[in-house]
Amino acid sequence: MPTLTIIQAINAALDEEMARDTRVMVLGEDVGKRGGVFLATEGLQQKYGPDRVMDTPLSEAAIIGAAVGMAAHGMRPVAEIQFADYVFPGFDQLVSQAAKLRYRSGGQFTAPMVVRMPTGGGVKGGHHHSQSPEAHFAHTAGLKVVVVSGPYDTKGLLKSAIRDDDPVVFMEPKRLYRAVKEEVPSQEYLIPIGKAAIRRQGHDLTLISYGGSMVETQKAAEELAGVGISAEVIDLRTVMPWDKEAVLASVARTGRALVIAEAPRMASVASEVAATIAEELLDQLEAPPLRVTGFDTPYPYAQDKLYMPTVTRILNAAKRVLDY
Amino acid sequence: MIKHSWMFKPFSDLPIALVDEGGDWVADFPLELPPDFLRGLYRDMLAARLLDEKFVILIRTGKTSFIAPHAGHEAAQAGIAQALQRGHDWLFPYYRDMGLMVAMGVPLREIFGQMLGNAADPAKGRQMPSHPGSKALNIFTVCSAIASHIPPAAGAAISMKLKGSGQVSVCTFGDGATSEGDWYAGINFAAVQGAPAVFACLNNRYAISVDLSHQTAAHRIADKAHAFGIPGYRVDGMDVLGSYFVMREVIERARAGHGPALVELEVYRYGPHSSADDDSRYRPKEEVEAAKRRDPIERFRRFLEKQGLWNLEWEEMLRADLKAQIDRALEEAEAMGEVPALAMFDDVFAEPTWNLREQRELVREELR
Repeated sequence: MPTLTIIQAINAALDEEMARDTRVMVLGEDVGKRGGVFLATEGLQQKYGPDRVMDTPLSEAAIIGAAVGMAAHGMRPVAEIQFADYVFPGFDQLVSQAAKLRYRSGGQFTAPMVVRMPTGGGVKGGHHHSQSPEAHFAHTAGLKVVVVSGPYDTKGLLKSAIRDDDPVVFMEPKRLYRAVKEEVPSQEYLIPIGKAAIRRQGHDLTLISYGGSMVETQKAAEELAGVGISAEVIDLRTVMPWDKEAVLASVARTGRALVIAEAPRMASVASEVAATIAEELLDQLEAPPLRVTGFDTPYPYAQDKLYMPTVTRILNAAKRVLDY
Repeated sequence: MIKHSWMFKPFSDLPIALVDEGGDWVADFPLELPPDFLRGLYRDMLAARLLDEKFVILIRTGKTSFIAPHAGHEAAQAGIAQALQRGHDWLFPYYRDMGLMVAMGVPLREIFGQMLGNAADPAKGRQMPSHPGSKALNIFTVCSAIASHIPPAAGAAISMKLKGSGQVSVCTFGDGATSEGDWYAGINFAAVQGAPAVFACLNNRYAISVDLSHQTAAHRIADKAHAFGIPGYRVDGMDVLGSYFVMREVIERARAGHGPALVELEVYRYGPHSSADDDSRYRPKEEVEAAKRRDPIERFRRFLEKQGLWNLEWEEMLRADLKAQIDRALEEAEAMGEVPALAMFDDVFAEPTWNLREQRELVREELR
């Protein structure tokens, strides 16, 4: 079984889906000749031609908006936004067009499309190459939002996203693009959107995370194990719709929950998960659910690593819920 | 089909007009259109005008909450509808296009359903009035966000090119839209791809109250086509045949693989921007009256009369027939009743997610 990075898993998923379905096409800045600035689409234009792997003008509104029209007309476009930080010129196309097309037309028109984007910090990118804007999308009715953390999931989830009949924002933590390698089957498999993965089983507390912060969350769980504390680790994988069933089932058993994500805290996905745990499980909780998140500052350059939830910060929060 | 390919010259100093205000054919090519087609154009324009008048009654009687009057736009709207292949080509309209919807053949009952936001609306009452759409006729449902439909129109055109479907994507918008970033983004992408798209600006010189001189420093909106490397045409949008012939030419030009065009159709909005607007605050009554004296329907009536295709008897019959159709369609639409409350939760996704199921249940309990 081949061992792939996340970047290679994206490439494999796109390749397989384009081979399977001629409606699938890729568009974005530098995705063609260059193969993408992170090389996610490397070799695809040579294989499928410049019409199905389309270099576009430097305009996120054009990329996402055209994808809406292509999807409505029967294509299955996969748009690449070079960095999640640059999605905002195309944000109106996501919010006003893609997210609402099915609804506003009463189901007459739909926008089955994927908008891929590298997300998150840890690459010394300053605030315009490091943000985690998933809450904007999760807050917009009509969009599904996936945030991956590993190569195996990436391939299975991207293939599901491409086959989904609704628009999916597909977020890829860029600091993990080449940092993690996993065995990824070359044969067909799909991972359903909306299903979390239990990464580690435990009974003392539940650590809920997704995306880039899964790395620090797993490390924190290791350290806790070293001192005899058994942490269950849940990778949400999809943040809209997030897997409420899996989260509540785990926290109902452990009675303690931390929600860990590097996006800013205010009105975040982590806040939504924590609020739901508090609303639905109050009687079974041994401690209030805590959030360990990025800060409500623009993403800083000099404090690149400090901004994101560190293992220390996760462990301190774990101590608070365990000692409560 | 057009005998002389690309008859019209882009970037003309004067707007292209083929029928003058006296109703005379002034084009340098022979008019070879069947009488029924010409009468049909008149019928479409008159139907649009009568519908506009009916909308005013709907708002005054409290049956609808919003109207975007289109009187003054009828010639451009009828011309566009006849220039494209209805049901084959795609249309990406904007909110002042109800007259265009009639000419496209959207059933009047659906139009009133949309205005009432009730069960007769194929979009299930999801949007405010004057936001039509029809999958059956390839009419992309209107979105309020100005110019946000331009990139999707470009995308559909690119898809048409990739599939070799022989279709054209026609997109309409007002003069205000031409200031939006998405307007540039969309047309630019379509132009780069040489996609079969036609962008038609119904320039009525006002974006609500903001007049054209505060909208753009460009001499003409058609001139903006220079920036994309595509032809731009300035057309007298009060002349239905001028609108029809220019639109037909650029649509067939796009279909033949020669890429997009921008067409500026000069019209005038007789009414306020919407039922929530008071246009006396920003434009003199005399200006409106002067525009109405150039009325597109009157002009075309004079033309038809000179061609021996119009008389008072026919006019009265046509009006009575259209009014009866409109009244009947409104009655039918009203009889369809309200959209079920819980339909609010449908069509967010193909399958409702758990949060939507929970929220639907909450409302169901509340209504019990």
